[in-house]
Amino acid sequence: MVSQRDREILRDEIHSRGAKLSATDRETLLKPYLPDPSDLSSSKRSPTSQRRPKTRKTPIRTFLKSQLHHLTYALTHIIFGVIVRLLQAYHAVVERVFAIVYHHHRTPELIRKDVRGLKRVPQHLSIILNLRTEDDALTVLMDEVAELAAWSACAGIPQLSVYEKTGVLKSCIPALHQIITTKLASYYGSPSQQPSLQLFAPHHPVHGTAPDPQFDSPSLTLLLLSSTDGRETLVDLTKTLTEMSQNGKLSPADITPELVDAEVSEITSQPLQSDSGSGYCTIGPEPDLLLVFGPFLKLDGYPPWQLRLTEMYCTGDRSHALTGYGEAVEYQGFMRGLWHYAGAQMRFGR
Amino acid sequence: MAGSMHLSRLRRWFLASPPIEFAITNFKELLVGALRQGPIPQHVAFVMDGNRRFARSHGIETVEGHNLGFEALARILEVCYKSGVKVVTIYAFSIENFKRSKFEVDALMEMAKVKLSQMAQHGDLLDRYGAKVRVLGRLDLLKPDVLAAVNKAVDLTSRNGDRVLNICFPYTSRDEITTAIRETVEEYSAPLHPARPAGATARTPFSESHIAHNIRAQTLGTKPQEANSDSESTSAELSTQEDESGARNDRSHRIYESGSSFSSSTTLHLGGQPDGQSAKGSSPENVSDAENPVFISPETISRQILSDHMLTKGNPPLDMLVRTSGVERLSDFMLWQCHENTEIVFLDVMWPEFDLWHFLPVLLGWQRRIAKSRQNPDAEGNFAGDSPESSEEDADMVLRQTGKVKGV
Repeated sequence: MVSQRDREILRDEIHSRGAKLSATDRETLLKPYLPDPSDLSSSKRSPTSQRRPKTRKTPIRTFLKSQLHHLTYALTHIIFGVIVRLLQAYHAVVERVFAIVYHHHRTPELIRKDVRGLKRVPQHLSIILNLRTEDDALTVLMDEVAELAAWSACAGIPQLSVYEKTGVLKSCIPALHQIITTKLASYYGSPSQQPSLQLFAPHHPVHGTAPDPQFDSPSLTLLLLSSTDGRETLVDLTKTLTEMSQNGKLSPADITPELVDAEVSEITSQPLQSDSGSGYCTIGPEPDLLLVFGPFLKLDGYPPWQLRLTEMYCTGDRSHALTGYGEAVEYQGFMRGLWHYAGAQMRFGR
Repeated sequence: MAGSMHLSRLRRWFLASPPIEFAITNFKELLVGALRQGPIPQHVAFVMDGNRRFARSHGIETVEGHNLGFEALARILEVCYKSGVKVVTIYAFSIENFKRSKFEVDALMEMAKVKLSQMAQHGDLLDRYGAKVRVLGRLDLLKPDVLAAVNKAVDLTSRNGDRVLNICFPYTSRDEITTAIRETVEEYSAPLHPARPAGATARTPFSESHIAHNIRAQTLGTKPQEANSDSESTSAELSTQEDESGARNDRSHRIYESGSSFSSSTTLHLGGQPDGQSAKGSSPENVSDAENPVFISPETISRQILSDHMLTKGNPPLDMLVRTSGVERLSDFMLWQCHENTEIVFLDVMWPEFDLWHFLPVLLGWQRRIAKSRQNPDAEGNFAGDSPESSEEDADMVLRQTGKVKGV
C-alpha cells in the first residue's frame, strides 16, 4: 500500500546501498504509513487513562468502521463461498469425465500406457490415507491400500509407503498381505505374472517373498507408517542418545545431522531381520512424491525428517484446497499426482 | 500493481495516479479490516521462493530480483500484522544457499546487513510499532559484520510488542532438529548438582526429596507443608525445619535408617561437603553425587521437551505455510513444526509478485474451514477437535510420573 512515488524513492535508495537517505529522511518517508500512535498504544497497553479519551474522540466513526468491516467480512465470504461452490461443481464434472476417460479396467497394460509418456516416475511414492469413521472403515482402508499397491506395481513404482495416522494397518499385516495378493491377482491374473510383494512396518519383520533374482519380474515393497514413526521416533532417538551420553559413551558434539539421518533412515528403510532370509529388502528413506488424498494439504503427523525434499501433491488441492471432494482414493487422482510430478522442475536447494 | 516490469506505461500511469492509488489503498485496508473479523492464523510461515526466476524471466539482475522480493516481504508483513497474525516466520537463507555463487551470497548478506542496520537506526520508532525480530539458524556461519548487525537488531527489538518476525537466516530444519536433540542430550547429561538451580529437576512434578520430607513431617506429627514441586524451595524449607528441630530429626532418621534406601541420616553426613551451600541439603540426589553422577532419567524426554528446544520455542503452533513459485516441497524448512496440523499451500506465483490478491483466497479458505469445523467438530479437515495434544499430554504426564531420577 505504498504509493508509487515513495516506492521509487525507496528503490533509488536501495541502489545506493542505503547511502542516499539519512535516518530522519526515512522516518519522514515512513510516517504516513504508520498507524496513529494513540490508536496503537491504547490497543496494546490499554491503560484506562489512554483509552478513555480515544473512545470519546470518534465513537461513531469507530462504530461505523467496525460495522463496515463486519459487513465486508460477510460479503467477501458470501462471494467467496459462491465462487468456491462453482469451482467445486466444475471440478466435480471434470473429475467424473477424467474418471470415465482414464479408467484402469484392472488392466496393467492400460496403467502402463498412462505413465509411458511421463518424463519421470517416482521411485518411492508415499501416500497419506485417513481412517474413516464408519463401521467398515478398516475394510475400506485395506482395500484402498490394495488398490494403490496394484496401481503402483503397474505404473512401475517399486517402493510405496502408506501413512495412516492411527497405525491400525500395522496390526493386521498378514491380513493386508492376503488382500493385496488377491487384488494383484485380479489385475495380473496367474500368480507367476504377479509382481513379488514385500510388506513391512518399522520394527516389524518383513512379510512376503523376496523377489527372485533369476527372473526379472517387477517387485513392490510396501511400507506402513503411522504417527509413532514421526516425532516419537525422534524422541526415542534422543532418549537413547541421552542414555549413551550419560554413560559416557558419546559426546553431545558427536550428534550431527548425518548421524540422526542414518539412524532415522534405518528405521523406516529396513525391516527387522526375518528368519526367511530376505535381508536385502530395503526402501529409500526419503519419498520422491507424497500424495495426499484429502481436501487440502495437511501432513497429519507424517514423519518429518524424511520430508525434506519430497514433492507434495494433494488431490483436492486445486482452487486453493477449498473443495470438499478428493477424499476418495481414485485412480485419476493417483494419475494426476504422477503427471504433476513428472512436470515439476527439479532443483536442489531452491 | 503486480510489480511487473512489462506493465504498459499507460497502465502504470493510471495505477499510480493519486485517485486510483487512494482507492486501491483504501480497498485493501477495508479487506484487511474485514479479515480481522474472522479467525486468523496465529503463526504463518513463508518460503520466499522465485526471486531468481522472476529476475531471469524479466531480464533483470538476480540481485534486483531479491530487492523486489524484499518489497514483497514488506507488503505481505503489513497484511499479516494488520490482519492479526502474531508470528510470521520467513525462510530467508538456507544453509544450502551457501553453495550458490559468491557474488549472490555476498549481495544477499550485504542486503541483510543494510536492512538490519537501517532498522537499528530507528530505535524509537521500532519500540512503538515494531515487531520483535528474531533470527533463527546457524549464526556461527555468518560473517562477523553481518552477525553484529543481526545481534544489534535482535537486541533492539527484544522488548517490542507481541508481534514476532522470525527470520530463518542460515537455517535448515534438519540442522534445527539435530541441534534440539543435541541440546536436550547436553541438558540431560549434566549431572544433577546440589548447587544447581532446580530448572532441570522441576520438570518432574514430584520430587523424591519432597515426598521424603512429607513422610518425615507426618512421622513427626507436624502439619505437612503446602505441596510444592520445586525441590529447591523444598530443600530450603526443610533446612529451616531441621534447624528448628534438630533433636527430633535424629529420632526420625533412626526410623529411616532401617527401611529407606535413601536414608536421611546419610544426607546429614553431607554436612561436611566443601561447598557448604547446601550443608543441610536434604535432596537425596546429593547422596551419591560425589562418586557416581546422578542424571535425570532419559525416559522423561517427551515430544514437548524436544519442541521446547526447537528454534521456534514459545511461538504458537504453525497454522499455515505458504510457498510461492509453484515448487511443491518444503526444502528443509519447518519440518518439525509443520507436519501436524499446518495447512501447506503452494502458490504458482513468483515471490516478488506476491501480494494481498494472492494471499486473500488462502486466508479466506482458511477462515471458511475453521468456521465450518467450529460449527461441526466431526467434519473433515478439523483443526481444533482432533488435535493430538490432549492424549500427548496425558502420555507425558504418565512418563513424568514414572520417570524417576536415575543414578548411573
